[in-house]
Amino acid sequence: MFMCKDVVENIMGYIDCELDLQTLKELEKHTGDCPECMTFVNTYKRMLEITGKLKNKPFVTPEIRNRLKILLKSKVKPV
Amino acid sequence: MEIGFIKKLINVIVSNDNEQTTGISDDELVRRFTQLGDESSFEEIVNRYSDRIYGFALRITRNTSDAEEVFQEVFLTLTKKLHTFRGDSKFSSWLYRVTVNTSYMYLRSQKKHENNISLENYAPYDEKGTLMGRIMYKDWSSRPDIIIFNKEAVVIIEKAINELPESYRTVFHLRDIEGLSNEEVGNILEISIPAVKSRLHRARLFLRDKLSDYFYEWRR
Ligand SMILES: [Zn+2]
Repeated sequence: MFMCKDVVENIMGYIDCELDLQTLKELEKHTGDCPECMTFVNTYKRMLEITGKLKNKPFVTPEIRNRLKILLKSKVKPV
Repeated sequence: MEIGFIKKLINVIVSNDNEQTTGISDDELVRRFTQLGDESSFEEIVNRYSDRIYGFALRITRNTSDAEEVFQEVFLTLTKKLHTFRGDSKFSSWLYRVTVNTSYMYLRSQKKHENNISLENYAPYDEKGTLMGRIMYKDWSSRPDIIIFNKEAVVIIEKAINELPESYRTVFHLRDIEGLSNEEVGNILEISIPAVKSRLHRARLFLRDKLSDYFYEWRR
Protein backbone atom coordinates (compact mmCIF):
# COMPACT_ATOMS: atom_id res chain seq x y z
CA MET A 1 0.00 0.00 0.00
CA PHE A 2 1.21 3.49 -0.83
CA MET A 3 1.78 5.37 2.43
CA CYS A 4 2.57 8.97 3.46
CA LYS A 5 6.13 7.73 3.85
CA ASP A 6 6.23 6.85 0.15
CA VAL A 7 5.08 10.35 -0.78
CA VAL A 8 7.83 11.83 1.38
CA GLU A 9 10.56 9.54 0.07
CA ASN A 10 9.54 10.12 -3.56
CA ILE A 11 9.01 13.86 -3.31
CA MET A 12 12.26 14.80 -5.04
CA GLY A 13 11.56 12.52 -7.98
CA TYR A 14 8.02 13.92 -8.12
CA ILE A 15 9.21 17.53 -8.24
CA ASP A 16 11.85 16.69 -10.86
CA CYS A 17 9.34 14.64 -12.94
CA GLU A 18 11.54 11.57 -12.65
CA LEU A 19 9.02 9.05 -11.26
CA ASP A 20 7.91 6.04 -13.25
CA LEU A 21 4.28 6.18 -14.30
CA GLN A 22 3.10 3.63 -11.73
CA THR A 23 4.69 5.44 -8.78
CA LEU A 24 3.46 8.78 -10.07
CA LYS A 25 -0.12 7.51 -10.29
CA GLU A 26 -0.02 6.04 -6.79
CA LEU A 27 1.56 9.16 -5.36
CA GLU A 28 -1.08 11.39 -6.91
CA LYS A 29 -3.87 9.11 -5.81
CA HIS A 30 -2.60 9.03 -2.22
CA THR A 31 -2.05 12.80 -2.17
CA GLY A 32 -5.57 13.35 -3.52
CA ASP A 33 -7.02 11.34 -0.64
CA CYS A 34 -4.65 12.46 2.13
CA PRO A 35 -4.82 16.11 3.20
CA GLU A 36 -1.64 15.74 5.28
CA CYS A 37 0.31 14.74 2.19
CA MET A 38 -1.38 17.42 0.10
CA THR A 39 -0.19 20.01 2.62
CA PHE A 40 3.24 18.39 2.71
CA VAL A 41 3.57 18.68 -1.08
CA ASN A 42 2.23 22.25 -1.16
CA THR A 43 4.54 23.54 1.57
CA TYR A 44 7.49 21.69 0.02
CA LYS A 45 6.85 23.37 -3.33
CA ARG A 46 6.34 26.74 -1.69
CA MET A 47 9.64 26.35 0.17
CA LEU A 48 11.50 25.72 -3.10
CA GLU A 49 9.82 28.71 -4.69
CA ILE A 50 10.91 31.02 -1.88
CA THR A 51 14.44 29.73 -1.38
CA GLY A 52 15.02 29.86 -5.14
CA LYS A 53 14.48 33.61 -4.95
CA LEU A 54 17.14 34.12 -2.28
CA LYS A 55 19.74 34.00 -5.05
CA ASN A 56 19.00 37.55 -6.10
CA LYS A 57 19.64 38.95 -2.65
CA PRO A 58 22.59 41.35 -2.93
CA PHE A 59 25.37 40.53 -0.50
CA VAL A 60 28.48 42.59 -1.04
CA THR A 61 28.15 46.18 0.16
CA PRO A 62 30.35 49.01 -1.18
CA GLU A 63 32.14 48.91 2.21
CA ILE A 64 33.05 45.25 1.82
CA ARG A 65 34.24 45.87 -1.73
CA ASN A 66 36.31 48.83 -0.60
CA ARG A 67 37.94 46.86 2.20
CA LEU A 68 38.83 44.15 -0.33
CA LYS A 69 40.50 46.74 -2.52
CA ILE A 70 42.50 48.18 0.37
CA LEU A 71 43.57 44.74 1.54
CA LEU A 72 44.73 43.63 -1.89
CA LYS A 73 46.72 46.84 -2.19
CA SER A 74 48.41 46.37 1.18
CA LYS A 75 49.28 42.73 0.47
CA VAL A 76 51.28 43.48 -2.65
CA LYS A 77 53.35 46.30 -1.13
CA PRO A 78 57.06 45.57 -1.52
CA VAL A 79 58.70 44.63 1.81
CA MET B 1 53.91 38.51 -11.61
CA GLU B 2 55.42 41.93 -11.08
CA ILE B 3 54.42 44.01 -8.08
CA GLY B 4 53.75 47.05 -10.24
CA PHE B 5 51.47 45.08 -12.47
CA ILE B 6 49.46 43.66 -9.58
CA LYS B 7 49.15 47.14 -8.09
CA LYS B 8 47.83 48.51 -11.35
CA LEU B 9 45.49 45.59 -11.52
CA ILE B 10 44.11 46.20 -8.05
CA ASN B 11 43.55 49.85 -8.81
CA VAL B 12 41.08 48.93 -11.49
CA ILE B 13 38.94 46.83 -9.16
CA VAL B 14 36.06 49.22 -9.05
CA SER B 15 32.40 48.48 -9.17
CA ASN B 16 31.68 50.10 -12.54
CA ASP B 17 30.47 47.81 -15.26
CA ASN B 18 32.92 47.45 -18.05
CA GLU B 19 31.24 47.31 -21.42
CA GLN B 20 34.15 45.57 -23.07
CA THR B 21 34.11 42.59 -20.72
CA THR B 22 30.51 42.03 -19.61
CA GLY B 23 29.48 39.74 -22.49
CA ILE B 24 32.62 37.57 -22.40
CA SER B 25 32.75 33.99 -21.09
CA ASP B 26 34.48 33.22 -17.79
CA ASP B 27 37.12 31.07 -19.48
CA GLU B 28 37.98 33.85 -21.88
CA LEU B 29 38.30 36.33 -19.01
CA VAL B 30 40.67 33.95 -17.22
CA ARG B 31 42.70 33.50 -20.41
CA ARG B 32 42.91 37.24 -21.07
CA PHE B 33 44.04 37.88 -17.52
CA THR B 34 46.55 35.07 -17.10
CA GLN B 35 47.98 35.10 -20.62
CA LEU B 36 47.63 38.71 -21.75
CA GLY B 37 47.66 40.41 -18.35
CA ASP B 38 44.39 42.15 -19.16
CA GLU B 39 43.38 43.98 -15.97
CA SER B 40 39.79 44.68 -16.89
CA SER B 41 39.22 40.93 -17.20
CA PHE B 42 40.16 40.43 -13.56
CA GLU B 43 37.92 43.33 -12.64
CA GLU B 44 35.05 41.66 -14.45
CA ILE B 45 35.64 38.38 -12.59
CA VAL B 46 35.44 40.30 -9.31
CA ASN B 47 32.23 42.01 -10.44
CA ARG B 48 30.69 38.79 -11.61
CA TYR B 49 31.46 36.64 -8.58
CA SER B 50 31.69 38.88 -5.50
CA ASP B 51 28.09 38.33 -4.42
CA ARG B 52 28.21 34.59 -4.99
CA ILE B 53 31.53 34.08 -3.21
CA TYR B 54 30.52 36.21 -0.26
CA GLY B 55 27.05 34.62 -0.12
CA PHE B 56 28.49 31.11 -0.15
CA ALA B 57 31.12 31.98 2.48
CA LEU B 58 28.37 33.51 4.61
CA ARG B 59 26.29 30.34 4.26
CA ILE B 60 29.20 28.18 5.42
CA THR B 61 30.47 30.41 8.23
CA ARG B 62 27.09 31.94 9.23
CA ASN B 63 28.85 35.05 10.39
CA THR B 64 29.44 38.24 8.40
CA SER B 65 32.94 38.98 9.68
CA ASP B 66 34.11 35.39 9.06
CA ALA B 67 32.50 35.50 5.62
CA GLU B 68 34.36 38.68 4.78
CA GLU B 69 37.68 37.13 5.86
CA VAL B 70 37.03 34.21 3.55
CA PHE B 71 35.87 36.49 0.74
CA GLN B 72 39.11 38.47 0.93
CA GLU B 73 41.21 35.34 1.14
CA VAL B 74 39.55 33.92 -1.97
CA PHE B 75 40.44 36.98 -4.05
CA LEU B 76 43.97 37.04 -2.68
CA THR B 77 44.24 33.40 -3.72
CA LEU B 78 42.88 34.30 -7.15
CA THR B 79 45.57 36.89 -7.81
CA LYS B 80 48.14 34.19 -7.07
CA LYS B 81 46.51 31.03 -8.37
CA LEU B 82 44.26 31.95 -11.25
CA HIS B 83 46.89 30.62 -13.66
CA THR B 84 46.45 27.13 -12.14
CA PHE B 85 42.86 26.97 -13.41
CA ARG B 86 43.02 24.35 -16.15
CA GLY B 87 39.54 24.53 -17.56
CA ASP B 88 38.71 20.87 -16.78
CA SER B 89 35.65 22.06 -14.90
CA LYS B 90 33.54 25.19 -15.22
CA PHE B 91 35.33 28.25 -13.89
CA SER B 92 32.43 28.95 -11.53
CA SER B 93 32.73 25.40 -10.09
CA TRP B 94 36.44 25.88 -9.56
CA LEU B 95 35.80 29.18 -7.82
CA TYR B 96 33.13 27.69 -5.54
CA ARG B 97 35.60 24.94 -4.68
CA VAL B 98 38.27 27.50 -3.79
CA THR B 99 35.65 29.22 -1.62
CA VAL B 100 34.59 26.06 0.21
CA ASN B 101 38.21 25.01 0.84
CA THR B 102 39.15 28.49 2.01
CA SER B 103 36.14 28.51 4.35
CA TYR B 104 37.07 25.16 5.92
CA MET B 105 40.68 26.23 6.36
CA TYR B 106 39.59 29.48 7.93
CA LEU B 107 37.11 27.82 10.30
CA ARG B 108 39.72 25.26 11.34
CA SER B 109 42.25 28.00 12.04
CA GLN B 110 39.66 29.76 14.19
CA LYS B 111 38.71 26.48 15.89
CA LYS B 112 35.17 27.10 14.75
CA HIS B 113 34.75 23.83 12.95
CA GLU B 114 31.20 22.68 13.38
CA ASN B 115 30.10 19.25 14.61
CA ASN B 116 28.33 17.80 11.65
CA ILE B 117 25.16 16.03 12.73
CA SER B 118 23.81 13.40 10.35
CA LEU B 119 20.28 13.84 9.04
CA GLU B 120 20.45 10.51 7.23
CA ASN B 121 17.40 9.17 9.03
CA TYR B 122 15.54 12.44 9.29
CA ALA B 123 11.90 12.10 8.25
CA PRO B 124 8.62 13.81 9.11
CA TYR B 125 6.45 10.66 9.28
CA ASP B 126 5.82 8.45 12.34
CA GLU B 127 7.02 4.87 12.84
CA LYS B 128 3.96 3.57 10.96
CA GLY B 129 4.92 5.70 7.96
CA THR B 130 2.05 8.17 8.20
CA LEU B 131 1.94 11.95 8.49
CA MET B 132 -1.30 11.89 10.45
CA GLY B 133 -1.65 14.97 12.67
CA ARG B 134 1.81 16.26 11.80
CA ILE B 135 1.59 18.57 8.81
CA MET B 136 -1.79 20.07 8.09
CA TYR B 137 -2.34 22.10 11.24
CA LYS B 138 0.83 24.06 10.42
CA ASP B 139 -0.04 24.69 6.78
CA TRP B 140 1.61 27.89 5.54
CA SER B 141 1.47 27.19 1.82
CA SER B 142 -1.06 29.90 1.03
CA ARG B 143 -0.10 32.54 3.55
CA PRO B 144 0.33 35.84 1.68
CA ASP B 145 2.81 37.29 4.19
CA ILE B 146 5.42 34.63 3.51
CA ILE B 147 7.16 36.17 0.54
CA ILE B 148 10.69 37.17 -0.24
CA PHE B 149 9.83 40.89 -0.07
CA ASN B 150 8.83 40.55 3.54
CA LYS B 151 12.03 41.18 5.51
CA GLU B 152 10.80 39.43 8.64
CA ALA B 153 9.90 36.34 6.64
CA VAL B 154 13.35 36.34 5.02
CA VAL B 155 14.99 36.53 8.46
CA ILE B 156 13.03 33.44 9.48
CA ILE B 157 13.93 31.59 6.28
CA GLU B 158 17.62 32.41 6.67
CA LYS B 159 17.55 31.36 10.32
CA ALA B 160 15.99 28.03 9.38
CA ILE B 161 18.51 27.37 6.59
CA ASN B 162 21.36 28.17 8.94
CA GLU B 163 20.14 25.49 11.34
CA LEU B 164 20.95 22.81 8.79
CA PRO B 165 24.15 20.92 9.65
CA GLU B 166 27.06 22.17 7.55
CA SER B 167 27.30 19.41 4.95
CA TYR B 168 23.56 19.70 4.23
CA ARG B 169 23.62 23.49 4.26
CA THR B 170 26.30 23.72 1.56
CA VAL B 171 24.44 21.28 -0.70
CA PHE B 172 21.16 23.10 -0.15
CA HIS B 173 22.74 26.48 -0.85
CA LEU B 174 24.40 25.46 -4.09
CA ARG B 175 21.50 23.41 -5.37
CA ASP B 176 18.35 25.23 -4.27
CA ILE B 177 19.54 28.79 -3.82
CA GLU B 178 22.25 29.07 -6.47
CA GLY B 179 20.35 26.69 -8.73
CA LEU B 180 23.34 24.54 -9.73
CA SER B 181 22.90 20.99 -11.08
CA ASN B 182 23.56 17.84 -9.01
CA GLU B 183 26.67 17.25 -11.11
CA GLU B 184 28.08 20.71 -10.50
CA VAL B 185 27.44 20.45 -6.77
CA GLY B 186 29.09 17.02 -6.65
CA ASN B 187 32.04 18.42 -8.53
CA ILE B 188 32.44 21.41 -6.20
CA LEU B 189 32.11 19.44 -2.96
CA GLU B 190 33.88 16.37 -4.34
CA ILE B 191 31.05 14.00 -3.49
CA SER B 192 29.02 11.59 -5.66
CA ILE B 193 25.72 12.54 -7.30
CA PRO B 194 23.75 10.07 -5.11
CA ALA B 195 25.35 11.75 -2.07
CA VAL B 196 24.26 15.17 -3.37
CA LYS B 197 20.71 13.92 -3.89
CA SER B 198 20.51 12.23 -0.54
CA ARG B 199 21.80 15.25 1.37
CA LEU B 200 19.50 17.55 -0.56
CA HIS B 201 16.51 15.33 0.19
CA ARG B 202 17.15 15.29 3.96
CA ALA B 203 18.03 18.99 3.98
CA ARG B 204 14.71 19.87 2.35
CA LEU B 205 12.71 17.68 4.74
CA PHE B 206 14.46 19.24 7.72
CA LEU B 207 14.00 22.75 6.38
CA ARG B 208 10.33 22.27 5.51
CA ASP B 209 9.71 21.17 9.10
CA LYS B 210 11.67 24.10 10.55
CA LEU B 211 9.80 26.58 8.38
CA SER B 212 6.48 25.07 9.40
CA ASP B 213 7.38 25.41 13.07
CA TYR B 214 8.61 28.99 12.72
CA PHE B 215 5.78 30.19 10.52
CA TYR B 216 3.25 28.51 12.83
CA GLU B 217 4.54 30.70 15.66
CA TRP B 218 4.92 33.83 13.57
CA ARG B 219 2.12 36.45 13.56
CA ARG B 220 -0.58 34.20 14.83
ZN1 LIG C 1 -0.43 10.76 3.29
